[in-house]
Amino acid sequence: MIFKDKVAIVSGGSRGIGREIVLMLAANGADVIFTYLANKEAAEGLAREVEKLGRKACPAQLDSRDFNRSKELIEKTKQDFGRLDVLVNNAGITKDKALMMMAKEDWSSVIDTNLTGTFNLTRNAIVTFLKQKSGNIVNITSITGMIGMARQTNYAASKAGIIGFTKALAKEVASYNIRVNAVAPGFIDTDMVSGLKEEYRKSLAQNIPLGRFGKTAEVANAVKFLLGDESAFITGQVIVVDGGLSIR
Amino acid sequence: MQDIDTEIRDLIAAIIEKEPEKIGPETRFMEDLGVDSMMALEILAAIEKKYKIVIPEEKLPELATLSATVKIAREYLAGKKNEQS
Repeated sequence: MIFKDKVAIVSGGSRGIGREIVLMLAANGADVIFTYLANKEAAEGLAREVEKLGRKACPAQLDSRDFNRSKELIEKTKQDFGRLDVLVNNAGITKDKALMMMAKEDWSSVIDTNLTGTFNLTRNAIVTFLKQKSGNIVNITSITGMIGMARQTNYAASKAGIIGFTKALAKEVASYNIRVNAVAPGFIDTDMVSGLKEEYRKSLAQNIPLGRFGKTAEVANAVKFLLGDESAFITGQVIVVDGGLSIR
Repeated sequence: MQDIDTEIRDLIAAIIEKEPEKIGPETRFMEDLGVDSMMALEILAAIEKKYKIVIPEEKLPELATLSATVKIAREYLAGKKNEQS
């Protein structure tokens, strides 16, 4: 129970990697507030699963682009739970297109959700962490933000931005016993890649040294390590979970 | 018992590691004493803890001098008393 009685917020928690992180935190003793954009049913289903693990779960509808609603969520969490220990910024969307076909809206919505969304929750949580002189933040980025992928200029820019944000903030708040790290998944079996054609999936997997897509639990394990005391001397780092895809 | 001005002055002096005498009512924390935003937050947190009040973080930029800080603390202390009565 490495997170016993801790209170965690996970953005984009109802599906995929976020969902796995919510379950990992609850299984290790944390109460979890998680946000979702649209799928209320999935969110409520997950809340019931968390409660089966004996922990409190609180699904909250939130568009990550909304600064004021993000602020309200943090305030409400402090009111209801009396504290906040962990923030996992995971909410993210893709709108993949060749740059020549990319509308301004495709660019803005991805940057605003992924990068500004990370700012919105972190900005509103950081004063609490600074005051209590403890806190742990993990941002979910992507190998796309490190090595680039064609047709993902918007997504890659948002994820590279998250890495810069992580490193800068880690330096800024380290003396307050707050750690800030990032996890960069490669191809993971989630809804985000399930839309790909089987043949294309196979050819992608061939380029991964470990020969397969990753599992959401394998990403959650890296998050668990970064949030736990075993990584107490690690801050401002990016752990890549990609089966070796980005090895250069 | 010390008055609130002196209490807050001493508390700030301890956080910014300066002599209390160097902090006049209108001495500017940032310009004259080199207080940075993190120290300002520590001052806010220390006042909250000492007087068991909650000062919204939006007030942080207003904590620019001792007199302004004392005024804000008094304001929220008064609010707390009103709530209790």
